[in-house]
Amino acid sequence: MQEFTWPDRTAETELALDLDKAVLRREFEQRLDECGTLAFRVARGVLRNAADAEDVAQEALLRAYRRFALLRDPARFRAWLVRISFRLALDHARSARRREHRETVWATEVPKPTAEDSAASNEFGRRLQEAMESLPEKSRLVLLLAGMDGHSLEEVAEVLQLPLGTVKSRLHSARKQLAEKLR
Amino acid sequence: MNCDQSVQALREAAAGGRAPTGNLAAHLEECATCQASFQREQALFVAIDHSLRKRVNEDPRASFLAELRVQISKETLANPRSNAVWAVTGATLAVVLIGMFYPLASPRQPRLQGDLQAATVRAPQSTEGTQPLRTFGVDSGVRSGKYSGKHSPAKTTVGQEPEVLVPPDEQRAFSQFVARVAGRDAMAEAVVSPAANKTAARNTELPEVPSVDIAHLQLDGTKSDQWMDETGGTE
Repeated sequence: MQEFTWPDRTAETELALDLDKAVLRREFEQRLDECGTLAFRVARGVLRNAADAEDVAQEALLRAYRRFALLRDPARFRAWLVRISFRLALDHARSARRREHRETVWATEVPKPTAEDSAASNEFGRRLQEAMESLPEKSRLVLLLAGMDGHSLEEVAEVLQLPLGTVKSRLHSARKQLAEKLR
Repeated sequence: MNCDQSVQALREAAAGGRAPTGNLAAHLEECATCQASFQREQALFVAIDHSLRKRVNEDPRASFLAELRVQISKETLANPRSNAVWAVTGATLAVVLIGMFYPLASPRQPRLQGDLQAATVRAPQSTEGTQPLRTFGVDSGVRSGKYSGKHSPAKTTVGQEPEVLVPPDEQRAFSQFVARVAGRDAMAEAVVSPAANKTAARNTELPEVPSVDIAHLQLDGTKSDQWMDETGGTE
């Protein structure tokens, strides 16, 4: 979409705007190395495969980039990006589940997998994924962020703008719920 | 502490990653079953943490960031100032478009317009207000021997008839009345049926019905008298 320009805008104003944009672009690209991986990991924590997580992370970063100039507090960029990625990943997972459900409804009866098949398909990982999907979104996000390398609970609290006690309590509760479902 | 009481406590301890203390620790030392249960709980939490960490610390493909940079280079950054302008322009445009298209999209509006157009129906003018039947008979172009000599065609031509506005809610009944009286069943069906209503709404004039030549049906004088006697008809 072509950007709107004021009819009486001078060349100097245009130049200043272009410079502003160049600065913003550089600033965003500097964050990309760190935050690109962060967005991917958040999405990966929600989604079942890496390819979907890459798609979601890319979409999240593009959205963040388009609205980067409107972000009032650049220091909050990480938290902002985490939320965008998490939301998009949840939406993606929901639509994938709906699609899967539709396909299952019309599918013929599939033979039960053998013991070897189960072992090969990482049964525990599948059950863990299902258990994760049943968790409340708030607890789930805490669990994902706390599991990421280099994220202390204090950092998780900062990213989510929550008191440390709340983060600890949610994490504990989420782990117990997971264990309950996997027992 | 007995085994039932220890179950919840050992799960809490395992979930918190703490070593058992106090009564629980004492019970675990004595009870091999609960000790095994505690170890299973610990193993479960280790497996959960391990699976989770493995997943959320996965890295994207090496080309992911490079592809992302290419995508970003194609994107346009939002400008806060232009954004406000676009918002105002968009809202104004939306209001104008709604104003333009709402009457067309509204299900009631076309019917109203159709009614207004269809309501302009040519009412047949009777030379004598008390004898509409005769007037319609002449309008239809059917010349009976009985009436042909009594009415001048010039007085009953459609072109001289004034237009009469019929209220929308009476339009259907009026059309039925006109058509039935004139014996134009086909036209009545066209006017009354819903599909034909749209056509009638667009064309304010009623469809022309070709004149029917009934000259060969006229009875001569003697036959006419005979027929009148047989049927008992009277003028």
